[in-house]
Amino acid sequence: MKMSICALPVIAGLAIAPLGLGGYELSVLMTILFYVILTLGLDLVTGYCGQFSFATGAFYGIGAYTAAIMSRDLGTSIWWHLPAGALVAGSFGLLLGIPALRLTGHFLAIVTIAFQTIMYLAISQWTSFTGGQVGLHVESAGKLAVFGTTLFELGSLRSYYWLTLGVTTVCVLAAWRLVNSRLGKEWVAIRDDETLASAIGLNTTRGKLTAFVAYAALAGIAGVLTAHSLRGVTPDDFTIWISATVVAMMMLGGRGTFIGPIIGAVVLAIVPEFLGRYAEYKMLIYGTILVIGMTLVPEGVIGRLRRSASR
Amino acid sequence: MDLFLQYLVNGAVTGSTYVLVAVGLTLIFGILGVVNFAHGEFYMIGGYAGIFAVTAMNLPLLPAIVFVLAVAACVGLAAEAILHRPMKDRDATSSIVSSFGLAVALQNAALIVMGPQPQRLNLDASKMPLLSELPTEFGPVFLPHQRMLIPLTMVALIGALYAVLRYTWTGRSLRAMAQHSTVARLCGVRVDRVAMVTFATGAALAGIAGMLMSSVFLVYPIVGNMIALKAFTVVILGGMGNVIGAAVAGLLLGVIESLTSAYVSNSTRDIVGFVIVIGVLLFLPNGLFGKSVGRS
Repeated sequence: MKMSICALPVIAGLAIAPLGLGGYELSVLMTILFYVILTLGLDLVTGYCGQFSFATGAFYGIGAYTAAIMSRDLGTSIWWHLPAGALVAGSFGLLLGIPALRLTGHFLAIVTIAFQTIMYLAISQWTSFTGGQVGLHVESAGKLAVFGTTLFELGSLRSYYWLTLGVTTVCVLAAWRLVNSRLGKEWVAIRDDETLASAIGLNTTRGKLTAFVAYAALAGIAGVLTAHSLRGVTPDDFTIWISATVVAMMMLGGRGTFIGPIIGAVVLAIVPEFLGRYAEYKMLIYGTILVIGMTLVPEGVIGRLRRSASR
Repeated sequence: MDLFLQYLVNGAVTGSTYVLVAVGLTLIFGILGVVNFAHGEFYMIGGYAGIFAVTAMNLPLLPAIVFVLAVAACVGLAAEAILHRPMKDRDATSSIVSSFGLAVALQNAALIVMGPQPQRLNLDASKMPLLSELPTEFGPVFLPHQRMLIPLTMVALIGALYAVLRYTWTGRSLRAMAQHSTVARLCGVRVDRVAMVTFATGAALAGIAGMLMSSVFLVYPIVGNMIALKAFTVVILGGMGNVIGAAVAGLLLGVIESLTSAYVSNSTRDIVGFVIVIGVLLFLPNGLFGKSVGRS
């Protein structure tokens, strides 16, 4: 409950932000929101359930390509793409969750990297379906209509920002509800000791699979939002480096905490904007953060703060 | 049939590089329990070091190989200091994230320093000692000297490694660590030194693979991604920590890929390995040659 009281002013501030900000600042804010969704999703599966995944970029891409291909072949609007993206990415998440039932730690990490690579190869080489290296153009998001009455068009940057903010809020709330539900507690139990969790009668199969599906579905939603925001998708937007970025955001903030990954996503998504012409050093910085962070503060900044506060 | 033999040989050449990379990876995992996702970057650095030695320093082949071995071994020592030493008392998963971070950092450092365009190592075949005397055609099979060099080096290095592991004190202490690190430590094995030797050896083998391969294919900053994945495939097929298994599985993967690209399609070539590895992990979690050892 305390959390929601703190969150309200933040959401309200973000909601009135477009009135005072220009196009550039709004795009940066939107990028931050995409990364917040991605990082929270990864935190569910890695932070709470303890299953490593380096395939965030793949699920992100699956969501984005779902939107692009539906928009090309069916001419649908974003209202269809959001649930479809979550559904398709979630199904692939279920698929990736199946090896996770038998594999742990490094074996699982290898399989997720393999999945990420297969997905990239598939997207970039199946030219007739995905447009290959050139990618696909995506139509504008459509409009917000109630019973045929158009409330407002989502073509403009400002209205699209509000849509993104709304969807992100829903995602964050859903993740918050999930980690505080019985299911979320089961995830933590699996992370802390899987043998013990199954010994006390928890269904670890269900626990792991649901964590993977929730993670993949959130990444898929972020992908749909991104596809309509960029008005196009290319394979290189969804490489393993996206996965690395999201892992860095989560680790920096603190895996297994709720607010930590959000803060990590905000900080690391803003950093490149201040690098200016040094923006090409972005991934070098993220990689270094992973190495140094893992060595010095493996529990992340928020995790470390909590630990020292509880002493 | 003639073409089939050619495909087999091509596969064995590619497979030899997989063996060189995978043996180091499997040693590092088997002895130290570190999953080194930055192993492909040793290959990439070896490729660039080879180009530097041959083009900028004008070294002949053998000194160039020694130079690459030395550079890659130093990189391996640095990686050990980053990935293994600070993590010794942590759980195994810590090295997953930090080595993944190291891989990303090294790739992007290479991207900034060397640029994204692929580069080739120009090895002049006529200047290679001994090798240039050999024929390049064996019946229906055509095998240029640059390619021939790869399996030959692989056999020489892996043979040397096997002998070292089998007959020297260093080798014995490495194997002792792999069997049981605590007991090895109690028996007086110098664990720090073993860790450094392991990383240096693994990196040197991968570096040589990168150098030799960049005279056939090209080297570019993210070349290590795919190579590391292939090496992981091989390591899993051969059984984690099993050197002989890695050697057999590496050649096998090379041949399978070569045949796939010849008879199925070129675009499925890279995918086939991953499909195999996911299948193997699901049905034979200890690899094709792995002993079934309970993991906890």
